[in-house]
This record gives sequence, structure tokens and C-alpha cells, in this order.
Amino acid sequence: MRRARTGRARRPRSFYSTSVVRVLFFVPATVLLIILVVYPVLQTLALSFLGPGSGAFVGLDNYGNVLGSTETIDLRDTQFPLGTLIDNLLWIAIHLPMTLFTGLFLALTLQKVRGASIVKSMVFLGMVTPLIVGGIILRYLFDEKSGIVPQLFGALGVKSLAIQWTQYPSTLLFGLIFGSVWLWTGFSLIIYSAGLTTIPKDYFEAAQIDGASSWQMFRKITWPLLRPITLVVVTMTVLWELKIFDIVYAATNPNGGVGNAADVLALQMWRYAFRAGNYAEAAVVATLLTGLTLLVASFMFHRMVVGMRGGGKRPSLLARVLRIVRRRP
Amino acid sequence: MAGSSSSSAPGGSTDYAPPRKMGRMLAVLIVLLVATNAVTAVTVYYVTAPTTAVVQTLRVIGPWAGPEKAKFLPVLNLFHNQTGINYEYITTRQEDLQSLLPNWFAAGRAPADLIFMPSSFIKTYGVQGHATDLASTITQSNYAAGALDPLKDGSKLYGGAYTGKVKPGFWYNKSFFTANNLQAPTTFAGFEALLADIETRGLVTNQPIISGDGVGWPLSDVVEHFIATYGGPSMHRALTAGTLSWTDPTVRNIFATYLVPTLTKRDVCVNGCWSAPRQWDTGVTEWWAGDYALYFMGSWITGMVPNPADIGVFSLPGGVSTQGIVFAADYFFVPKYATQLDSAKRLAAFLGSAAAQTEQVKVGGHIATVTGVPSSAYPPLDASIAALLTGKEVLSDLDDTKGGTFQTTFWAQLQALWAAPSTLDTVLANIEAAA
Repeated sequence: MRRARTGRARRPRSFYSTSVVRVLFFVPATVLLIILVVYPVLQTLALSFLGPGSGAFVGLDNYGNVLGSTETIDLRDTQFPLGTLIDNLLWIAIHLPMTLFTGLFLALTLQKVRGASIVKSMVFLGMVTPLIVGGIILRYLFDEKSGIVPQLFGALGVKSLAIQWTQYPSTLLFGLIFGSVWLWTGFSLIIYSAGLTTIPKDYFEAAQIDGASSWQMFRKITWPLLRPITLVVVTMTVLWELKIFDIVYAATNPNGGVGNAADVLALQMWRYAFRAGNYAEAAVVATLLTGLTLLVASFMFHRMVVGMRGGGKRPSLLARVLRIVRRRP
Repeated sequence: MAGSSSSSAPGGSTDYAPPRKMGRMLAVLIVLLVATNAVTAVTVYYVTAPTTAVVQTLRVIGPWAGPEKAKFLPVLNLFHNQTGINYEYITTRQEDLQSLLPNWFAAGRAPADLIFMPSSFIKTYGVQGHATDLASTITQSNYAAGALDPLKDGSKLYGGAYTGKVKPGFWYNKSFFTANNLQAPTTFAGFEALLADIETRGLVTNQPIISGDGVGWPLSDVVEHFIATYGGPSMHRALTAGTLSWTDPTVRNIFATYLVPTLTKRDVCVNGCWSAPRQWDTGVTEWWAGDYALYFMGSWITGMVPNPADIGVFSLPGGVSTQGIVFAADYFFVPKYATQLDSAKRLAAFLGSAAAQTEQVKVGGHIATVTGVPSSAYPPLDASIAALLTGKEVLSDLDDTKGGTFQTTFWAQLQALWAAPSTLDTVLANIEAAA
């Protein structure tokens, strides 16, 4: 029998004890979140509005300084450096599709291959390699004398690329982006591999009977059904690219390499805080990073919770969990 | 289960309510939590409680590891023998401490009682009240003139200078020069001719000069040498103090006339006289193996080659009448939050004494900053390096003195100059913007 929801007097006695239990279960996590997340975030936000030296309220001055700085956005010409924000966007524009499609391609290719788990494990090694080590590996990968990349281009007769990639602004950022694809491809490979196992084989069998080609089956069955997986891969990869720090720091220097050519937001934030002692402007960069991260995270959250509601589709797991949480006894 | 609505029909028409036993379970959980915490607290208390009298140990953080650390420990041992104070030496990179120490200071604590850091860091945080004033601890009259200037703020002295290294010029392998009939140049034209000769005759497999790299500091040492030689000590000091612009024509002229032609391809050397920057320490091996002919580096390089007797050095030839030479001292300070403050002050005074620095220079690779260290204390090679200081004004390392974001910008911009010498004006403008 459905419980009445009108009037407090009609609620059963167990309502209050149940509510108290629920609140009690939330308390530890909430307290920790407030202390370790909410409070520092609010403090950082407040700091970003204070003068670096004076500590007085300066409004949006710090934001103007950071966003107006050529260190953040430098579009005076098309040469590197282009600024930390642009560099981060370039990471997303180049690194995201490369890792996503490489992972998807490998997952599809290795789907029915004997010993595929060994190959997957090898690709996944990049994921378990500390990024600081990955950065150092990149430094040597692009070394003029011992690096495999310049040596390869030298052997191919491309002299303009048979150079020390990390010492030229025109090659540095691209070198880091291309070179770090292997570090993250394991993620999309594993997630896509898991996603592929959830697609019923009947769909493919029916399509085959109807005479669909492999490409048509991929386009009409595999790709649409992998959409939730793609959403996760895209979101996690973009977050990874926004907070990229270790690779750039290890492969270059605290300024993002030759002429700041590979500088990124996280490195800029670190430099402001710990090299210049300018915590206010570091807080501005941190706030920008948090804002961008929230933007991406909220997009994913929205798609997961709301995007699946219409069209008679089954709600996502998260949507179902939230529905249970929102219910009143 | 009594009170449970878990048997609701699919579709969720009836809401979930936890069983009544949940409250009891919660109480048990809380009791367990309190009990385990209490047990842990009591255990930790008794495990960590000292059973014997605590031995006070002075903690020192320095950048030296391996052979360099082995050369520093005898000095600390001498201090221990003289005072009976125990010490613990910890190696930590100064780049890491740049990030860590501000957080320690913000918490009113310090990771050690005496720490070696660049002068700019010590002064910056000293002025903010995080370093102990050592004006009455260190005997300032012991030091060579100006040696403590980077650490001073009015009458306050926030640290001390230990020994240092000199950055005299281009190092070469004497056997290599002798075998190929090469001579150290005496004029800048002679220097250019030497570089062209090395390249034309194919004496090395790469460019004549190897450019060091790490986070970028080796290139700044090169540039400082050009400025100190062709602009003189006054220009070097003015750039350090920020009273002269990097875009000033006199400064630009040093770069454009002397440095850039050697960097540019098809100028002095067809492929440029300098290599692309390479990791500086492995570069020593490459240079000594004959891949390159010359290496600009500090005097610590003498401890990194297999046969120091075969190493030679020359400064840039020509230049203004009064020249300068960069001397990079190792600076230390006592944090305000040192737990062994008195012992740390005694060590600071000791490190600024002739006795300590004599002990240090004896093992090689160091030049004293205090007076009273006999020349006989130096190994022969270091004595010849110390002699390079004769007739030249001693200068503090420019980027170490300025520190902060200028330092890293300076390094990154010089790397850009090495990559594209034609961007000189942009590079100088960017350096000036950070100065």
C-alpha cells in the first residue's frame, strides 16, 4: 500500500528514525567533504579576489591580469608559445581523438584475437607508468642522438624532424602530445573492450542476415551502443588533459620548455604559487581549471542522468540511484 | 523483515526503508569505531614514547649527493668533533625545496635546522620573517667583500655563504688540443677562428661547443659570462639590480655582436657553433669522449672527468678592461622554526669560518668565500681555478640572485634563443618583461 505523503501527523513512527539513520550515514562523508573539499575550494576562490601583496579585495583584477597575460593566451602570431590555455586546448584537440580512436581501434581489432589479453596488458602498461617517468621517457624518445623519433625521421630523410624535438618551440608541444598517446590509450582500450562485451551478438547476427557490411554494422550498431562508453572516455580524457602537469614538467622545465612553448595551466599555477609566491594569481588559475573541469564533469553528469530519460530508454544506473535517494518514505 | 519495505514491487511504488535493526547496527559500528581508535591511540602512544633520554640531533638539508655529499660530510664531522653536536644530513634538490618550504613555513615549521638554498629564496623568505637573523652569529668580517650582500636587508643578515664554484669559461681536453694543434684564443676573432677551424677540419662529430641543459641554467651561465666579459661587472650588476633594461642597446649589442653569430647557422660555423642544449651531466661524458671540443661549465666539472689533470680552461678573450667572473656560492640559512636553534646558529657560524672552509676546499671542487683559507689548502687544479679570479671582479650569479619567475623565464627564453637566434629582440623583450 502506498504511503500517504500529506501531513506530518500521518507519517509513520519509523519515518523519523529512518531519516536520522540516513543523515547519520551521510555525516562522516559530508564532514570530510566540507573540510577537505568545500572549505579549500571556497578559500581558493576567495583568495583569487585578494591582492597578491596587500591581501585587500581587488575584485576581478587578478582575473584580468592572468587572462590578459600572454602567458595564458598569446595570439600575437601563430608561432609558439600560444599560451597555457591554448596549449591545454591543443592537448584536448589532438590528444583526445588520438587516444580515443586508437583505443577503440585496438579494442575492435583485438576483440577476437587469441592472446589479446597480453597485448592489452602491454598497452595498459602506459596507464600504470607514473607520468613523471613518462615525461622523462619522452625526453629521451625525442633526443637527437639516442631518441628513436629523430633517428627514424633521419633514416627517412626528413632532416627537419631529425632534431631534438624538445629544444625547438615548433616541435616541443606536438612531441609531448604525440608521445604521450601511449600513456593514456590503455584507458580507452580497456573501457571500450569492456563495452564491446555488453553488446548482444544477436544484433550483429541479424545485421549479417540482412546483408550489412562490417562498416555498416560498426556505424549502426557498435558505435551507437558504445555511446555511453565514449562519453566516459571523452570526459575522463579531457579531465586528464586539463590537469596535465607531470609530463610537461619532467620533459621540459618549470616554464614549459623552450620559450614556454609547451606551458600548460597546471604548470602556470604551480609556478605562480611556488616560484613567484603569488598565491592570489595561482588561485585564479586554479579557479579557471576548476571551472573548466566542472564544465566537463557537469556535461557528463547531465548526459548520464538526464540524457537517458527520454525515448523510452532504460534509465542509467546513476539515474536510478539518484531516483532512489530522492524518494521520501 | 519487520518494518522493512524491501519487498516492494518492481517499479518502485513503495519506497525503501531500512530495517529497524539498522539503528542497532549503527550503534555497534560507532562503539567499534571508538574502541579501535582508542586501542590504536594507546598503542601509538606507547610505541612512540621514548624509552631513553632523547639525543638532540641537528638536521641539515643540502643539495649534495654521492661524491659531493662525501666531500661535505668531513666538514660536518669536524663540527661534531669540535662541539659534540650530532647531526643528520639529508639530500634534497633545491628545486623541490622551492615548492615545499613555503608550505612548511606557512605551518610555522621547518624540515631542518639549517638549509642550503639560493640567495634569492633566503632573502625573500627572510624578509617575510621565516629566517633567523644571523647578523650577530656570523662573523661578517671573515668574508670577502660583497660575499654576503645577496642575503642582507638593511642591518639584517638572513643567511651565510659557504664555499662556492667559479664559472670561468670554456673547458677543453688538453690532450685533444695538443693532438690537433689547437690553441686557447686571445682575441674574440681568434675564438671565432678556433670554432670555425674545429668545424672545418671535422675534429668533432658535432658542433664545436656543447650546450648544457637541465632545467635551463647552463645557458644562463654562458650568457652571464658574455655579459661580464664584454659588458663588464657594472652591466652585470645593473641587470641583476634591474636598473638596466635587457632591451637596452648596450645589452643587445653584447648578444648581437658576440653570442648570436656563434649560434647562427652559416655564420661563424656552418651548422652553428653550439649544439642544441643537452642534459648537462651526460654532456660531460659526451664532451670528454670527443663528441664536442668545448664545454662552458662551472668549476665542479673538474670532479666529473676521469683525468682532471688533462682538463684546461679559457675565458672569453678580449672584452672590456675591467671584467667580472661569476662566482656561485652555496648559501645556507637557519629557519625561524628550527627546533635546534642554538646548535644551528653554532653550525652557521662554523660554516662561515676559515676552519670549515679549509676542510672543504682540501677535498677539491670548492673555492672559499671567507678570507684566511691558505692557498696551500687547495689541490693544484683548484688553485689554478682560484687564480682565474685574480684581476677580475667577483659577481653573484645573476639568475640565482634574482630568483622567482625571472629565473625560469630567463632559462626558457635563452633556450628559445638557442633554437632561433633570429628571435633575439623578442627574447630580450620577454626577459625584460619578467625582470
